[in-house]
Amino acid sequence: MKRVFKIGIFDEEERFISSIESLQKKEFKIYDVFTPYPVHEVFHLLKRKSRLPTAAYFFGLFAIIGVLAFLYYTSVIDWPIVYGGKPFNSFPSFIVVTIVITIFTVTIASLAAFSARSKLIPGRENTIFDSRATDDKFVIVVNTDLLDNSKSEQITTLMKENGAVEVYDKDFENIYA
Amino acid sequence: MEDQTKLSRTFRIITLTLIIIGACTFLFGVLTDPERTWANYLIVNYYFLSLAMGAAFFLALQSISQSGWSAAFKRVPEAMTAYIPFAAVFFLLIFFGLSDLYHWSDKGAIPNDQLLQHKLPFLNVPFFFARMLIYFALWVILTSILRRISIKEDQTDPTNQKEILSLFNKSELYSKIFIFVFAITFSLAAFDWIMSIDVHWYSTIFALKNVVASFLHGVSILALIIFVLYKEGHFPFINKYHLHDLARYIFMLSIVWGYFWFAQFMIIWYGNIPEETIYYFVRWKEGWKVLFFLEIISNWAIPFLILLPVKTSRNMTVITAVILFLIIGQYLDLFGQVIPGTTGSLRFGWIEAGLFLGYAGLFSLVVGVSLSKAKLIPPNHPYLDESINHLFK
Repeated sequence: MKRVFKIGIFDEEERFISSIESLQKKEFKIYDVFTPYPVHEVFHLLKRKSRLPTAAYFFGLFAIIGVLAFLYYTSVIDWPIVYGGKPFNSFPSFIVVTIVITIFTVTIASLAAFSARSKLIPGRENTIFDSRATDDKFVIVVNTDLLDNSKSEQITTLMKENGAVEVYDKDFENIYA
Repeated sequence: MEDQTKLSRTFRIITLTLIIIGACTFLFGVLTDPERTWANYLIVNYYFLSLAMGAAFFLALQSISQSGWSAAFKRVPEAMTAYIPFAAVFFLLIFFGLSDLYHWSDKGAIPNDQLLQHKLPFLNVPFFFARMLIYFALWVILTSILRRISIKEDQTDPTNQKEILSLFNKSELYSKIFIFVFAITFSLAAFDWIMSIDVHWYSTIFALKNVVASFLHGVSILALIIFVLYKEGHFPFINKYHLHDLARYIFMLSIVWGYFWFAQFMIIWYGNIPEETIYYFVRWKEGWKVLFFLEIISNWAIPFLILLPVKTSRNMTVITAVILFLIIGQYLDLFGQVIPGTTGSLRFGWIEAGLFLGYAGLFSLVVGVSLSKAKLIPPNHPYLDESINHLFK
């Protein structure tokens, strides 16, 4: 199925955000946005919620328990050796190792969770709506399949009014998203 | 946004009563139990100085990083720095309690003690006070310059953008000078005033830990003052993002504090050199051990665990509760650093309470008077709009 998208390109963050706001005021659904750097306001405006922080918290909890259990097993149960007169279970010296491995685990596990959730695997095909979206431009994508011509024109004028550098329609055969 | 605080009669009466209580406690204490009084005098003195210095550091950081969100609260840390000259006077009065506090000032002990002889070029009475004068002179001069620039900004014509911008750049320049001066002098001050009590012991991370403690507790008191003013009807624009930023400061600094606390403890514990471990040996005895753990719980564990979720760190009541723990935490921290080397007896009685109340009264009065002297919200600050319409960034 052929799908039609309206793509607006912006130079500045403020204009990009005011454009999103005015599109939402007219109850147009925004399909996707692209920014050169993370903009938290967009996250709020599009009402996206992420459970990644919660997941990261549990990865961290798992890592702390896992590392401490491992250290306890190796240095107390399986192969107890006296180091510098310290007790076998010398908790303070475990903490540094625990912190470092926990950070490592949380980083890797969050990356894996994020990639799995958004189906990012090596060799995955991706739809690039506008090549400048990977560069320094702010991009708003609106799906106009179900909208008639006047509505579609309204979106163009709204974006232009808010300072879009360029607004154009583009067709896609397949969407990989 | 024309807003200026006024000191109420009750506030003046309460703070003056507290100051009188503190002064009486001090006088009676010096006559009855001088050693204990001077040790507590040093604790509370350093306690409130560290709050003022933490606030000054916060102020300097805001200018250097050109932070927008905090521009409207600028007057609060400025008012807190007004306490530094008072602290200077009280610290110079330590001259009379020197023999009760510092073993190295005892002339009779030096000939039999090689370590004291080795440290004599640095730790001797004239140089000790000369350094103290230099520290306070630098701090008072730099913080009053920052304050004066800020007041001058209020008085300039709002349409004179060039002048306002040049004042803004000037405050940034002096803030840059200040943080370098702060880093060096406050570290040395912590070595001089607190660490030299245990004159045979040393820790290189000690100063860093105390600098972070001052920043952490300075920011918490700053947040507390902002909340009190908010409850009084000032700062009507405060939203959850301002709260979250203040909470994040406390959260982040409590982690850094915990990191340095643990670094100092673990290196000494693992190195196991008698002259270093003696410091913690004394603090692990019966009774002191409770204090030792309460210190890390109230300064690190409670702020860390409570402010970890986003929801609690946007709630004024929760942040205030955390700040109350931090107020106690800083006292416990200093108590554990000063008392074992001086009196060595773990007790909290009327001398401790009276002195703390007296200084709390004085600090509140100085900050209150300083706050009421200028507009609460700097009207010409270049980032004022950004601060008032602060969003999650």
